Parts: sequence; structure tokens; C-alpha cells
Amino acid sequence: MIEILATVNYWVTILLMMGGLYIVVAHGNMIKKLVGLGILQTSVYLLFLSPGKVLGGTAPIISEDFTVYSNPLPHVLILTAIVVGVATLALGMALVVRIHEAYGTIEDDEVHDLELDE
Amino acid sequence: MMRDTIILRVVVKLLLPAILLFALYVQFHGDYGPGGGFQAGVAAAAAIILYGMIFGISAARTVVPQRVLYMLIPLGVLIFAGTGVAGLLLGANFLDYSPLGSTAEAGQHLGILIVELGVFVTVSSSMLAIFYAFGGRAEDALAEEEPTDDGDRKGEIE
Repeated sequence: MIEILATVNYWVTILLMMGGLYIVVAHGNMIKKLVGLGILQTSVYLLFLSPGKVLGGTAPIISEDFTVYSNPLPHVLILTAIVVGVATLALGMALVVRIHEAYGTIEDDEVHDLELDE
Repeated sequence: MMRDTIILRVVVKLLLPAILLFALYVQFHGDYGPGGGFQAGVAAAAAIILYGMIFGISAARTVVPQRVLYMLIPLGVLIFAGTGVAGLLLGANFLDYSPLGSTAEAGQHLGILIVELGVFVTVSSSMLAIFYAFGGRAEDALAEEEPTDDGDRKGEIE
């Protein structure tokens, strides 16, 4: 029980990652797929940030009062990942808008059927 | 659009200066504390996006015109890269800010401030450009279909 509580970040990571992946696979609606992708991305942020925490360490800002700092490297990496995530989301939404204009639907299987009919 | 809801309009007008001030605080506090150009840029863009959501995209487009955005996005990248090249010309490595000021610490302080300003400009204008591209689609399509309708819509915004 204590072990599970000590690694709660990683359990939440697994939960979010599997939940996001399930949404991407199971839902036909493309907006919902993008939401699932976003949740999956968030789990990766958590996975990277968790090992950067140093027990008893403060935020990585130089101060004479503190000597132990958390590792700032994962934060910088994830800051970049968040920006990339925004760009990916914008690209995905643009594709969904164009698909809606071309087919009149954003359901995966309906677009597939329309493609077969042509 | 919720342009007719008076509570939203008043609250947004009260919130806008607070959001912009907070964005500037995060921006200028970013060299010695938590914060920086990315967060401040998104916060500043959020203020304009909130304005656009309540008062309409075309009202936001008069505050920050789209062609200004298209100039600001590369301008931020130029500020960032220019600071790096400035260090290079003064005899240090690329993106080494030490020779920019009288002492090495003053130079680094100034350098990181200018670089964060570049990040701020690019991030905030990119976020706004994305918002205009998606949120303005309906109005753009309307304007293309009925060009005569333009005068009526301007009256509605005022």
C-alpha cells in the first residue's frame, strides 16, 4: 500500500496514458480523438516531471537560503513539449475543419463510407 | 457569441487590464523567478482572446489587426536570433550575453530580458493567429458570401 502511495505519480501516468489511448482508439469523432491525444500527452508531461523532483528541494532559483534544488532540466524539456503540443493540436484542428468542409462530417467511419461510395 | 450578456461584457472589461498586468509581471519577473516569455505570451494572448470571444472576432481584429500579427511573429524570432548574433559580433559565443553589459552579470541580465521579449512577442502573436484562423472562419465565410452585409455587421459591433 505504501509503495503504491509512494509511486502515485506513475500510477496516475499509467491511468491517463491508457485512458487517452482508449479515447483515441475507441471514438470515431475526430474532436474526441484530439481530446484523447491531449490527455495522452499530459501523461507524458507527468512521467517526465516526476523524476525531476528532489525530496526537500525547492524550485530551481538561486538563493542563499537554500542548497537543495529540484532538477530544472525536465521542466525545460516539458515546456518545449507543451509548445509542441499546442502546435500539434492546432494542426489537428485545422485538419478536422477541412475534413468537415469536404465531407460534412467529422465521424471517422462516415468519412470512410463516403470515400468508398465515390 | 454572447455579445449581449451585460454581465460578461462588464466583467471582461474589468478583467482585461488585470490579465495584461499579470502577463507583464510574469514577463519581467521571468529572469530571476518563475515565469518567462512563454507563460507571459500565452497570458497576454488569453486577454485578447477573451475580448474576442465576448465582443466578436472583428472587434478583436481592430485591436490587434491580423497583418500586424504576421509581422510580429517573425519579429520575435529576429529579436531572439539578433541577441545571439550581437553576442557573436562582440567577440563571445552565439547567445552568450556577457559582453552586452558593462559587467558580465549586467550583460546576462540584459540579454535574457531581450530574449524573453522575443519569445513573448512570437508566442502571443502565434496564439492570437491560431485563434483568428479558427474563430474568424465563420465571419470570413460570411463576408465572402455576402459582401453587401459588411456595413450592417460593422454597426452591430459599434
